[in-house]
Amino acid sequence: MNGQASRILLRRQFLEGGRTRVSRGSERGFSCSVRRYAQQQQPGPGPERKSTQTTHFGFETVAEGVKEQRVGAVFSSVAASYDTMNDLMSLGIHRLWKDHFVRNLNPGRNPLTAPPSSTSTPPAPQGWNILDIAGGTGDIAFRLLDHASTINHDAHTTVTVADINPDMLAEGRKRALSSPYARTSRLSFVEANAESLTTIPSSSIDLYTVAFGIRNFTHKDAALREAYRVLKPGGVFACLEFSKVNSPLFDAVYKRWSFAAIPLIGQLVAGDRDSYQYLVESIERFPSQTEFRDMIKVAGFLVPGKGWEDLTGGIAAIHKGVKPM
Amino acid sequence: MASRAPTSVSVLGILRATSCRPAAALKLQRFYHSYEYTQPPPFQPAESAILSASISHVPSYGFTLNALTLGACDAGYLDVSTNLLPRGVFDLVNYHLVMQRLALKDTVQFPTEGGQGRSSSIGAKIRALTLARLHANRPVIHRWQEALAIMAQPSYVPASLDELAQLADEIWFLAGDKSVDSSWYTKRASLSAVYSATEVFMTQDTSKDFVETEKFLDARLEDAIKVGGFLGAVSGWVDYTGHSALNVLRNKGVRI
Ligand SMILES: C[S@@+](CC[C@H](N)C(=O)[O-])C[C@H]1O[C@@H](n2cnc3c(N)ncnc32)[C@H](O)[C@@H]1O
Repeated sequence: MNGQASRILLRRQFLEGGRTRVSRGSERGFSCSVRRYAQQQQPGPGPERKSTQTTHFGFETVAEGVKEQRVGAVFSSVAASYDTMNDLMSLGIHRLWKDHFVRNLNPGRNPLTAPPSSTSTPPAPQGWNILDIAGGTGDIAFRLLDHASTINHDAHTTVTVADINPDMLAEGRKRALSSPYARTSRLSFVEANAESLTTIPSSSIDLYTVAFGIRNFTHKDAALREAYRVLKPGGVFACLEFSKVNSPLFDAVYKRWSFAAIPLIGQLVAGDRDSYQYLVESIERFPSQTEFRDMIKVAGFLVPGKGWEDLTGGIAAIHKGVKPM
Repeated sequence: MASRAPTSVSVLGILRATSCRPAAALKLQRFYHSYEYTQPPPFQPAESAILSASISHVPSYGFTLNALTLGACDAGYLDVSTNLLPRGVFDLVNYHLVMQRLALKDTVQFPTEGGQGRSSSIGAKIRALTLARLHANRPVIHRWQEALAIMAQPSYVPASLDELAQLADEIWFLAGDKSVDSSWYTKRASLSAVYSATEVFMTQDTSKDFVETEKFLDARLEDAIKVGGFLGAVSGWVDYTGHSALNVLRNKGVRI
């Protein structure tokens, strides 16, 4: 009872935004970023915040404009302890899922098997142009580039990591320094909202990836439409996301784990219960495999086979869509 | 009634059902083999475009992702578009299997009953159809062991067996076997076994025009009669009309 009450209290404080975060944040080395968030919130309703429509933040219903800020606060808050969080949520297997996700996409153009460019057609571009949305810490981007380089001997494929959150991008840039792609043109980071990718030209992308990001978007349908717009005809939308567990028994066990244990562990490991609570709830709210597959179709994509692949009994799923010619 | 079960899932369902409810299954089976061949196309247009272009790269590149990628590019798609095929190279193998099964009814035709002369026996037709299907593997025979290895991967075994059963059904159907009785299971199983054994043999056959494969097929068909699977259904594989069935094939350009 007590725990429950204090959790709600904590969450309320957290959701109030900046001020409480500053003191907590500075201890953990986030002072700059958190202050930036606090400042952003002070001027009151900006043009995009006027919306009176509501959406979900975890299990709460909040004004749409607020969700974006709150999601921002969550990821600012977990940026550094981010891997811990993924380990907790995926029972430690998100790395295997990500490996599988990337291996299956088989990114990169193998120069040995690429079709010879004939004189009649313009030469095909040498590598793929990949956009990794909500790419935050660069986890997926590094894997994509590693696969292209080592498996397909492709030294041209580029990945643009786009994320709405500057703190996640900063973490990604930091990690990129210790990768072979630091200071090459193959990897770049841009701050962008998946729902309106104004800086990305239409029909310019071969592969659009989004891993564990889409459930945080306020308008998933708008994000899908943008994905469709930026992809070349024949280009692929690929999404790795927590999903609905298939077996009722396993579902019960996993829910127990995720709702009871993860926020608590989040508190102990990262000192941040509320962010983890949000993450658990946002997973529960995310559409089922079939619903999401249908959303992808509505956006105009062709889906391969039944449209998705379950991972580990449906804890996560990979959805794909191909933009028709 | 006019269309056959469009997805392998439902076909698999039918196969599963056969094991517990023979009567119902038999009914389904006969509906499934409707006389009217107005079936939905077996592949979606985009899949077809990529797969049919990819097949032409199999002789040089094998049943590989490379063949798929090259096919996608030929069809005007991107490398990444091969993600449309959730099972990758198995989809390529499966495309060959399905298309060659469906092609049988056009590549092999028998003189119609009521026409001049007696029509071939069911046995002779079975033999001719099986041989024609084997010969459809000729352009890719040097790659066929790759295909067999892909089909043998645990996750693809059910779909591969399902397709094999459909081939056996198709051959019995085209041969004019209309009997609805319990021998249907053994007939399907025996022909499936005969076909797969011969198919494997053919990958190692270096004889001219695969004459050794033809001999091997005849020996297996004889075995099948001895073991009893076909007993009652057919009395033999080559009767005096057998030659005419073969001649029909040769005239139609099938090299046997
Ligand atoms: C759980 S992280 C995933 C990071 C990375 N893709 C991975 O798999 O490790 C979710 C990311 O989504 C980002 N995000 C949330 N809403 C977004 C939006 N509307 N547009 C772009 N990124 C967004 C967050 O900032 C955060 O970095």
